[in-house]
Amino acid sequence: MTTIHVKRAWGKPVRAQALVMREGFSPRYDLDRWNGVISRIGHSAEGESIRDRVLIIPTSKGGVAGGWAFFDLLNKGIAPKALVFGKLNPVMVQGAVLAGLPIMEGWDQDLLALVRTGDEVHLDPSARTLRFTPNPP
Amino acid sequence: MNDTIEVVDLHTGTLQLTPEEHAMLQGDKGPAVQEAIRFQIEVGSFFGARRFVPITHAHVMGDIEVMGDGGLQHLRSMGDQHARCVVPTSSNAQCMHFHDDARLRQDVDEGAKEREILARYKTMRIAPTDSCIPYQQVYQPKLGEHVAWGDTGTVIYANSVLGARTNFEAGKASFAAALTGRTPAYGFHLDEARAGSLLVDLRAPMRDPADWGALGKLVGHPNQDYFAVPVFDGLGRMPSSDELKHLGASLASYGSMAMFHMVGVTPEAKTREAAFQGRAPRETMVITGADIQAVYDSYRYVEGGANIVVFSGPQLSLFEMQDLAERFEGRRVAPGMAAVVTTNHMVHSDAKRLGYVDTLEKAGVTILQGVCFYILQRLSQIREENGWTNLISNSGKLVNTITAHRFNTVLRRTDDCVDIACTGTLA
Repeated sequence: MTTIHVKRAWGKPVRAQALVMREGFSPRYDLDRWNGVISRIGHSAEGESIRDRVLIIPTSKGGVAGGWAFFDLLNKGIAPKALVFGKLNPVMVQGAVLAGLPIMEGWDQDLLALVRTGDEVHLDPSARTLRFTPNPP
Repeated sequence: MNDTIEVVDLHTGTLQLTPEEHAMLQGDKGPAVQEAIRFQIEVGSFFGARRFVPITHAHVMGDIEVMGDGGLQHLRSMGDQHARCVVPTSSNAQCMHFHDDARLRQDVDEGAKEREILARYKTMRIAPTDSCIPYQQVYQPKLGEHVAWGDTGTVIYANSVLGARTNFEAGKASFAAALTGRTPAYGFHLDEARAGSLLVDLRAPMRDPADWGALGKLVGHPNQDYFAVPVFDGLGRMPSSDELKHLGASLASYGSMAMFHMVGVTPEAKTREAAFQGRAPRETMVITGADIQAVYDSYRYVEGGANIVVFSGPQLSLFEMQDLAERFEGRRVAPGMAAVVTTNHMVHSDAKRLGYVDTLEKAGVTILQGVCFYILQRLSQIREENGWTNLISNSGKLVNTITAHRFNTVLRRTDDCVDIACTGTLA
């Protein structure tokens, strides 16, 4: 089991499958908010559903839409389980707190190189840790 | 008789509260204010805020397209709790255009919900200005003034051009600030976050709004970081409000940035040293005219289907409406093409009075009020129904923000956009 320490975190512990993105993410620029599928042409996770997954995202893009969008996704039953950012903006925190989604920022190892889409990850925001079983090289 | 004792959550996180803020948290000012300050404490504590700062103005963002039924229910709940804004508060661009252009049909049911949102705004003491450019008409905060603005383009303009202080206050956050009259002091409310971090040596002749959008893309895209603050130096002239508006909107969109400086132009950058607060730039970029041209050259048209030219994102100012009316005067949008402008009610009212609206509409341009194009409700279906493939715009922000709706976007200068609209020839 590998443990990653994060700089900041909020929310309750959660365990779910990861969806790893290689680029920034905005619910308005990149997501079909009616089916929960990444719809931006050419996005590294195009065609993937965010539903019930821990989104692992290097940066946030834009945009104020996230302030309401995560709450809306929750209401539609297609919300992710948690958000883990390399760097984020306040919109993501405001949106996550409103929707009750655990959120983390700033990892001490290169999470994008260590975790793959589909891996199960365990977030403990109060301990500021994210744990997972590493893939064989 | 109810003999249960209510357990009041007095969790204050990292914040030290004043007696008035304690009273809010205890519920002395009603449940809406109590819920608002609890939310603010959670968000503020994430960023390690130590205190609240009073604000003078809030700008809220919420429309049925982005709030959904869940957000509307949340707004209803605030209304049931008699939520009232304690500072002057305006609203951002909405998603329903209420225009009769058959090509832009929107859902009647969603329209009814949007009208309910706007009615609830008024009850809450929010002025439904439906403007994403409040800094050009509605309210201009001064140097050092703290506000809570809920649209990225407005935030970066307030911080950079006006020297006011705000973070991105999205969704519930701007409403909460309007109800409590304060916001947690983190990020751009604090001096240290406002120091420049990246030097941009600007050697390009900037002659069109699209050039400013292209510049925002060149600087923002490779440096996506809310806390990055680019410092532009070298323009050699005083840019207009509209030019800085396009630069800021683009930086916020591509780079998620909330502040920039321009040496000799913006109030906290009288000198390069002042902009960097005496520190050294982390990185230096040089931007030339060739770099700007390379941005235009990077876009490719997709064959087949119909096309649309859009002037939006941010909404057009009165002088942009005047300029566009002059360019379309005596011309006509080509058969099979569509041309759309968005602005707010204040600008539209004056542009109508001054004849700009009539000139544009005579040329076949559709003018939508109170909305921004990329947030329109039902936009993906509207695109499909019209077979729109390429979306051409002079807005660097718009060609980035609209992509979830699967348009192929192309950035072009204003003259090119008008020519494309009137000839139907993609260039």
